[in-house]
Amino acid sequence: MKETHTSSGAHHEPGLYEVRIVGHLDSRWADGFEGLSFTHESDGTTSLYGPVVDQAALHGLLRRVRDLGLTLVSVTRVEPDQAEEADSEP
Amino acid sequence: MPTPILNTKLYVPPPRPEVVFRPRLVELLNENLQRRLTLVSAPAGFGKTTLLGEWAAGCGRPVAWLSLDEEDSDPTRFLVYLVAALQTVAANIGEGVSGALQSPQPPPAESLLTALLNEVSSVEEDFVLVLDDYHVIDAGAVDDALTFLIEHLPPNMHLVVATREDPRLPLARLRARGQLAELRAADLRFTPSEAAEFLGGVMGLSLSEKDISALEARTEGWIAGLQLAALSMRSRADTAGFIESFTGSHRFVLDYLVEEVLQHQPERVQSFLMQTSILDRLSGPLCDALTGQEGGSRTLQALERSNLFVVPLDDRRRWYRYHHLFADVLQARMMEKRPDQAPALHRRASEWYEQEGLPEEAIRHALAAGDFGRAAALVERAVPAMRQSRQEITLLGWLRALPDELFHTRPVLSVGYAGALLLGGEIEGAHARLRDAERWLDTAANPARPEPPSAEMVVVDEEEFRRLPASIAVYRAASALARGDVPDTVKYALRALDLMAEDDHLGRGAAAGLLGLAYWASGDLESARRTYAGGMAHLQAAGNVSDAIGCAIALAVIRIAQGRLREAMRTYERGLQLAKEQGDPTMRGTADMHVGMSELYRERNDLDAATQHLLRSKEQGERAGLPQNPYRSRVATARIREAQGDLDGALELLHEAERLYVSDYHPNVRPISALKARMWIRQGRLGEALDWTRERGLSPNDDLSYLREFEHITLARVLITRYESGLTERSIHEALGLLDRLLEAAEEGERTGSVIEVLVLQALAHQARGDISMALAPLERALKLAEPEGYVRTFIDEGAPMARLLSEAAARGIAPDYTGKLLAAFEAEARRNGGELPLPASPASQPPIESLSRRELEVLRLLGTELSGPEIANELVVALSTVRTHTKSIYRKLGVKSRRAAVRRAAELGLI
Repeated sequence: MKETHTSSGAHHEPGLYEVRIVGHLDSRWADGFEGLSFTHESDGTTSLYGPVVDQAALHGLLRRVRDLGLTLVSVTRVEPDQAEEADSEP
Repeated sequence: MPTPILNTKLYVPPPRPEVVFRPRLVELLNENLQRRLTLVSAPAGFGKTTLLGEWAAGCGRPVAWLSLDEEDSDPTRFLVYLVAALQTVAANIGEGVSGALQSPQPPPAESLLTALLNEVSSVEEDFVLVLDDYHVIDAGAVDDALTFLIEHLPPNMHLVVATREDPRLPLARLRARGQLAELRAADLRFTPSEAAEFLGGVMGLSLSEKDISALEARTEGWIAGLQLAALSMRSRADTAGFIESFTGSHRFVLDYLVEEVLQHQPERVQSFLMQTSILDRLSGPLCDALTGQEGGSRTLQALERSNLFVVPLDDRRRWYRYHHLFADVLQARMMEKRPDQAPALHRRASEWYEQEGLPEEAIRHALAAGDFGRAAALVERAVPAMRQSRQEITLLGWLRALPDELFHTRPVLSVGYAGALLLGGEIEGAHARLRDAERWLDTAANPARPEPPSAEMVVVDEEEFRRLPASIAVYRAASALARGDVPDTVKYALRALDLMAEDDHLGRGAAAGLLGLAYWASGDLESARRTYAGGMAHLQAAGNVSDAIGCAIALAVIRIAQGRLREAMRTYERGLQLAKEQGDPTMRGTADMHVGMSELYRERNDLDAATQHLLRSKEQGERAGLPQNPYRSRVATARIREAQGDLDGALELLHEAERLYVSDYHPNVRPISALKARMWIRQGRLGEALDWTRERGLSPNDDLSYLREFEHITLARVLITRYESGLTERSIHEALGLLDRLLEAAEEGERTGSVIEVLVLQALAHQARGDISMALAPLERALKLAEPEGYVRTFIDEGAPMARLLSEAAARGIAPDYTGKLLAAFEAEARRNGGELPLPASPASQPPIESLSRRELEVLRLLGTELSGPEIANELVVALSTVRTHTKSIYRKLGVKSRRAAVRRAAELGLI
């Protein structure tokens, strides 16, 4: 599983991201996390998932996390093929 | 209009009654005061500001405070506020820096900061500067400025930076040197005992130990969370039930608790909180304007009393803000419940701020409202003031936020945009904006134009509109000059002058400056001189004395090229006089006047006076110098060293000058590389001089232009030297041919200064061929032109061959007084250089030094006495460590390693 360097133009291409934070975040915050879906996980975290235009947008998103005093658990880039798999699952 | 200082940004938050006293953190802050920087870095809601406010009240030192906001990413604005904050501690600090920031060509940040730090170090008391909310800064330039500040921080100042994220400062380096103290989330979070004290003691809740630890665990010691929890519990009877459901919930602490707190507020208050959540700052009247109701001031005071997350921003309870986290939640609630309301609220805020005469806030809210028409109108009116206060970055930010099509119908705004773009070097973008504006002017001038623009023209600033054709012409001239297109520069600058009102002094000054540059670059010195003289008068009339002094430099340099040394001297003297009359004898540009005077004294061979003026220039301080002064002063020093026979030292300084060169749009008529080539010739390093001619692509058959005149004259020197070293016969013919053409060009351009030098070289060339009588003719002409203006070095710098020629001339009765004087100067110089001893190092021949602060000068004077270190500390009533710090700084600035050397050097420099 050490296949890094697969996506070279990653800086300016949109990507799918999952950002996980501690606590169940109300969906009213959706405005500050444009286009991301909120899922309240059973472990008490919230997963924000969706397309992020570029790296600058991702950092803006993380800044929002910072400004709300949220505790960040992980940021994961989801490769498109993985996403398709995930999507195809019911 | 200078930047209006929002005093609310400088307000030190006073200790609040309902907080936990935190002695362990206060002590930590006190203990680290001797380090340079304390970094308080933790997420929102950890009580950073509250802690620092509490500490500030009792730390025993004056505290300057600056709450940053996003606009402070504009470095100019940041520095303006930084100075304003420091002035709350020492009233007269940084006045010069503020002045320089408003000037049309502000010096680089580092020299401003150096000047500021010098003033800081002379503040008698030790003090603290707190920069709160540093995380909002998103600008490398501000980070760099702060880094410079920390690296050079005087020992009497301690800096505290509070932020939600670690700033881009060299933290690792500061840590390694023990110059950094840190307070982080782990330090700031409430300990269980602090939580207990807060909930029980401060909020008056009777809770079991178990309840407290449950709350502490759920909020993880997050202070904002505990505070909200306490507020929720205060307004309900069933605390146990609250704790059970709160600790049992996974909901984000903030969401859960704000909901809880709000639910217990009356509907009226809830609606007030939501509507006003869009404001960065709240005042009663502003809130009333937003809500359409009355009693905003009372509501704000009630909120403060019930600890509902409003923070007062002044002593008079006029301005408040919400705690940032609370404002965020309120805004999110509003976007959820009444998403359509926000634009209307922002518009009302914008209108209120406009009526209050605060355009920046009015513009910000208009943009947030998406009301671009309104924003455009406000920006159009704000352009002149923003330009004058050098806030172009903020201005550009607003302009870029407006949709493109808006500019098509707004010629005044469009031209304002063009001006801001030109300053940033975006010439293409600027042209598009100018064209947009011109369409409307064409239509106005010629209504029968076949295709009138379809939409209506919008003009807010009628006065600017009347001035528009002239403004457009000025910008076109400026962009032509930036392209190096001299004919277009002249064309547009003349058009601008033609269109401008006689009393538009500032406009006329600007246009004259551009026109003068164009004439100068094309070699039409007399037109350039007349234009500059007119421009200088207009700038003076407009009260823009600093720019008038800038004009004086150009004027004097042109006078020198015209061979009018006495006029040049008078021009410099007038520049100094203007500054004095203005009550600011160290005004920017005055240091440059002294450097210019130094060069004139050098030509007269009054090396002492030349040295004195260089010293004066240094003493004026960096603030008094234009950005070009560092390189100009090194060139001047190099020429003095050359005159003293120290050619290596001179070359070293020229290398430095080359590195420090910054253009000021003045034509570079005396390139430093050519000066270096001349130095090589004098050192007999012909190979390097020849390499230089090849690098510059110089040939004796080149077409001649004023811009390359100095290089071509230097080429003639190389050719003569080449002939003298016996390399080739052809060289001397090439030199003579080139000199003939140079003479003709210089005479035609009435550049008497160049004429004299070319005649001198002709004489030397003929003499090199052994033809004395051919040599004497041009020499006689040169002497005749040079005598009334008092030239000396132009002759004696040429050394022994010139001395022989002059004796010959004297023998034949040519200009007997003058040749006598020149020969005496030769003899004096030979006596000085002929002895065994090397030349004494004169003070001015040392590289320029950083100026010493007032305090350092005091210490320096005491270093010259018999007093010991502790005795000096006693004398100055400061700690011994403070004396040591000053001493170290003095050694560094003087470039010495011991007390005795420092005293000797100071005496040489006339400092003691």
